[in-house]
Amino acid sequence: MPEERAIAFSCRGAWLYGILSLPQAAARPSSRGVLIVVGGPQYRAGSHRQFTLLARDLAHAGIPAMRFDYRGMGDSEGDLQNFENVDDDLRAAIDRFVAEVPGLSEIVLWGLCDGASAAAMYAPQDPRVAGLVLLNPWVRTEEGAARATIKHYYKDRLFDARLWKKIGSGQFDVKDSVRSLWDNVGKAFGPKLDAGTAASRDGAPLPERMQGALTRFGGRVLVVLSGADLTAQEFAALSHRSGPWQRLLGTPRFTRQQIDKADHTFSRRPWQDQVSSWTRDWLRSW
Amino acid sequence: MSDPGHAHADAFFLDTPDGPRFCMYHAPRGECRGALVYVHPFAEEMNRSRRMAALGARALANQGIGVLLLDLHGCGDSAGDFGDATWDGWLRDVAQGRAWIEERLGRTAGLWGLRVGALLAVVHAQTAAVAPERLLLWQPVTNGSGYLNGFLRLRLAGELLAGGSDSGGTEALREALAADEALEIAGYTLNPQLAAGLDAADARALGPRCPISWFEVTAAAGRPLPPAAVRVADTWRLQGSRVDLVPVQGPQFWTAPETIDCPALIEATLARLETPDA
Repeated sequence: MPEERAIAFSCRGAWLYGILSLPQAAARPSSRGVLIVVGGPQYRAGSHRQFTLLARDLAHAGIPAMRFDYRGMGDSEGDLQNFENVDDDLRAAIDRFVAEVPGLSEIVLWGLCDGASAAAMYAPQDPRVAGLVLLNPWVRTEEGAARATIKHYYKDRLFDARLWKKIGSGQFDVKDSVRSLWDNVGKAFGPKLDAGTAASRDGAPLPERMQGALTRFGGRVLVVLSGADLTAQEFAALSHRSGPWQRLLGTPRFTRQQIDKADHTFSRRPWQDQVSSWTRDWLRSW
Repeated sequence: MSDPGHAHADAFFLDTPDGPRFCMYHAPRGECRGALVYVHPFAEEMNRSRRMAALGARALANQGIGVLLLDLHGCGDSAGDFGDATWDGWLRDVAQGRAWIEERLGRTAGLWGLRVGALLAVVHAQTAAVAPERLLLWQPVTNGSGYLNGFLRLRLAGELLAGGSDSGGTEALREALAADEALEIAGYTLNPQLAAGLDAADARALGPRCPISWFEVTAAAGRPLPPAAVRVADTWRLQGSRVDLVPVQGPQFWTAPETIDCPALIEATLARLETPDA
C-alpha cells in the first residue's frame, strides 16, 4: 500500500490542503512526481474519485503524486479563483511537494478540463515543470464550440460536458434530461455562451494564449481526449486546421491519445484505468 | 507566500478497525461550546458540497464549536474503494468519528449531516447506545429507498443518452442488486450491500432522542416546506422528539453544476446554535 499524507500549506494568506500519495519506502523513488491539477467544480478527490484513485495508482507504480484544492475549492480557504488565476496556488503546491519528497526534481502537471488549461498556462513559468498531461483541455470560444457542435454532435451523438455534470449531480429525470440535452445544443448556436468566454487579461482568445504557453514550454506533453465530449472535440478541431496549433501538436514532444467512447470525466472504470496506464507508460518513456 | 495569521485545520488519517479514514478537524476557537461530526452526502453530491462543508465548519469553529469532517469508507480521501463500502461500515465510521472528537473535547458530540449524510446521522441517533448531543440536518434524505431509485435512474439516463435503450427500468436494476450484482453508476460502483442498507434506511422509523435542527433549502422565499419533510418532522414530534424545521432560501449547492455557496444556510445554522436550549 502506498503511504498517504495529509498536508496544509499557505498561499496568499490562505491555507490550502492536499494529499500526498507516496511509493513504499522500499521502492526506488522516482525523481519525477505528478501534481494533479483539479478543474471545474471539483475538489481534490475528483469526479467519482478519479484523482484519488489515479494518485494511488501512480504511487503504487513508484511515482509520487500530490493533489490539492486551490484557493476557494474544497477544504481550502479563500475566494473561488478562475482557472487563469491559480499560478500562485500551483507554485505553492510545487514548493511543498518538492519539500516533502526527498530526491524529487521534476514535476509533471496533470490536469483535466480547465485544470489542464491552468497547468499549460503555468508550465513555462517554472523550470521544475518537466511535463504536462492534458485531459480534454478547455479552449472554449463561442465560435469553436459552435463548430465542434455542428461537426460532431449530430454525427456522433456527442454530449456537452455540462450535461454530464448534470447527470453526475444526482437530481435527475430522464425526460427532463433529454429535453435539456436539446436545450444545450440550442445554446451552442445561440448568440452567447456563458462560460469560458470572458475576455482574457491580454485580450487574446484562450486558444491563442494556450498555444503561446505550450510553445514557450519546451517539455513533453501528453494529450488525452474523450471521443464523446465537446470540450475535447473543440480542442481536437484546433489541430485539424492548418496553422500554429497543427505545427505545435505535430512536434515529437507531443503525444496524443483518445478514448472514443469516453465522456468528459472518463466516468467508467476501464476508461480511468486506460488513462492511468497511459500516464504511467508515458512517464517512463522519457 | 504570506502567512495566513491563523492556525490551519488539522488534516489527518484516523486509524479505525476498518482502515484509515481521512479527517479534517476544525478546533473550537475560544471557549469550547460544542462538538460536531460532519457526515457528507452520497457520491457526487459529496464533491459538490465540499466547499460548503468547509465554510460551515470554519464558521462553527469560530463560534466555539469543534467540528470533525470525516470521509466515509471509499469516499473522498479515505482508504478503500467506493465499491467496497457498506451502509453498516459507514455507520461504524460515524461512531468512530464521534468517539474521536468526544475524547478530544471531553463532551458528547452532535452530528451534522447533509442529504444521505443526514440520513446516516439519523440512523446513528436511532441506534447508538448514547444519543448524540444534537442533530443538525441539512436537506436530509428521509427515505433511503427513494434516494436509491433516483441514483439508479442516473444509470438508465446514461444508457439512453449513450444512444442505447435503457436496461429495463429501476426494477431490473434492483433485481440485479438482489442477485448480488454490483452496478456501475455515474462513475461509482454500487455494491449490493450498500444499496440494501440505503434502501432500508428510513428516518420515520424512530424519532431521534436528541434535539433536532432541520434546515430545508428552497429556491424562493415564501415557498412552503416540502410536505414530505413536514410529515417526517410531525411523526418524530408525535414520538416525543424536539424538532425545529427551518426553511432557508438559497441554491441547491449539492447538485449545482458549478460551485456555488448558500450563505443563508450557514447563517441559519449558527443562529439556531446561538438560541439557548436549541
